[in-house]
Amino acid sequence: MPRRLIYPLIILALGVAVVVAYLFSGAPDANVIVNIRLPRLILTLYTGMVLAAVGSVYQLMLANPLAEPYILGVSSGSAFGAILTGVLGLTLLMPVGGFLGAGITLLVVWSLARRKGSFDRSRLLIAGVIAGMFFSAGISLLMYLFQKDSMVILGTLMGNLGHVFTFREWNFFLGLLAISLLLMIWLYFKSTALDILSGGDIYAGSVGIDVPALRKKVFIVSSLLIGITVSFAGIIGFVGLIIPHIVRFFIPSGQKRIYLYSLLSGGVFLLLCDLIAKNIAVIELPVGVITAAVGCPFFMWLMLRK
Amino acid sequence: MRKTFSIISLGIILLVVGAVSSCQKTPPSSTEPRLVVLSPEVAEIIAALGAEDQIVGLTQECDFPPQLSKIKKVGNFGLVDREAVIALKPDMIFTSSLEHDALAQEFSKLGYTVHQIYPRSVRDISHAVTHIGEKIGRVAEANSLARELEGKIEELRRRSEGKPRPRVYMEIYRDPLMSVSDASYVGDLIETAGGNNVFDVLERDYCRIDAEDVVAAKPDIIICYSQETLQTILNRKGWQDIPAIRNKRVYFEKDINPDWMQRATPRAILGMERLRELLDTF
Repeated sequence: MPRRLIYPLIILALGVAVVVAYLFSGAPDANVIVNIRLPRLILTLYTGMVLAAVGSVYQLMLANPLAEPYILGVSSGSAFGAILTGVLGLTLLMPVGGFLGAGITLLVVWSLARRKGSFDRSRLLIAGVIAGMFFSAGISLLMYLFQKDSMVILGTLMGNLGHVFTFREWNFFLGLLAISLLLMIWLYFKSTALDILSGGDIYAGSVGIDVPALRKKVFIVSSLLIGITVSFAGIIGFVGLIIPHIVRFFIPSGQKRIYLYSLLSGGVFLLLCDLIAKNIAVIELPVGVITAAVGCPFFMWLMLRK
Repeated sequence: MRKTFSIISLGIILLVVGAVSSCQKTPPSSTEPRLVVLSPEVAEIIAALGAEDQIVGLTQECDFPPQLSKIKKVGNFGLVDREAVIALKPDMIFTSSLEHDALAQEFSKLGYTVHQIYPRSVRDISHAVTHIGEKIGRVAEANSLARELEGKIEELRRRSEGKPRPRVYMEIYRDPLMSVSDASYVGDLIETAGGNNVFDVLERDYCRIDAEDVVAAKPDIIICYSQETLQTILNRKGWQDIPAIRNKRVYFEKDINPDWMQRATPRAILGMERLRELLDTF
């Protein structure tokens, strides 16, 4: 068997096994499978895919191996928006609050990162980190002031894939999902340009790429994607950082393939972590704890081997 | 030189002694102890014993009976202003448990008398009443109130004997979903009133649950304190087969006062009677 087929086959086999276990373990009835497990599966797959895909894009675009989807502050802004809405008693509007928070952060980071029309890497990174810190401080303040709502706050900060959808919310989510898929496809087609960009801004400019415009567009599209995931699933760490690196162990270069495999691996990995989080203990554990507990040792093992 | 040194040393000693003595609690001016109450449940019980005049400080959440609103506030339940408590020179501080454990220890270390009151069952309410009565010098009133409460609880138990026990799901959080176990005070209250709490055993008293477990449990009644509306809870995906949803037997804050259900005070009787009324319609 050709070596390049091994990784996709592993992902495919693991994906099928996890999906079957996710949907059918414990012999639930059709109603539970279709209306409760399937929505959760779609939310989980989608979240994992976005986190890993955006992680791979940021690591390349910002030329920083430590970059992850939350580095540009959008997640903190989104979490702040969702938590603020929640502690004010509007729990049903938390996804809307999260989305608004993401939008506001996006505008703030964008205006901070721009200077005389240019949109350079360092300014973007610094603006993102500063905005992230600002909103994290806001979240700490909310935690301090609204201690009775600690579950709502922790649910957002540690990831919560068990969101209970109403029919209207589900339709809203499906609409966002359709838009997100288009945005993810757009990001896929920017892979070659991002690859060229990683060779340096001057080189990319010399081959006809409008570097500031590309960065701006990629930043906006990825921020929208992250905003949507945080609004529904909270903040889930490690997936966006680790999955693209794991993929690079098998596929060292070529952003198109790295992006595609990050997308698929991220979805399957988060699904696996959620399955573990739901079943490992009597009480469901926050999925963010499992992503770290599973992802980090595996990553260390890979680092030692390769 | 030596004389100057002695005078300065004496001055320092006097200053330290003066400062220390000023930090000591002053004895109560009357025989009745001055109370700072950080738990809304205890405040309600003290008021029921007719001793609210002894309370000199409260947390924001201590909002019943309404006459407590005139008493000075020392922060809120999770965020107590320690200096404000000390400034009130209390003889006794009443706290709850769990979140208040560290706070109670701090005040104990400072030499204050701290009583932690945390009723874990309906029966514990009368124990809490007599305990508080003993501590604040209202033994007769406390014994009488405790007897009255026990009588009413017994009557409620008798009323539900031999009757069907509808399945009750209590939702305290939406995202993540959380409910109560029978080991919790609220779970015990549901059972005492004659309901069958669907999550009788959970890992913790107040615990995260899975939506599909609610669907599988088929509750007849849902008591929803998670800020949902009837419209949204009726429209949850996958919940349509739940009897409570099908028959629109979902009750909110406006239907049963959450304080009647969640606070272990004499008003728990009102909560159980109201729940009994709802259960009697089955």
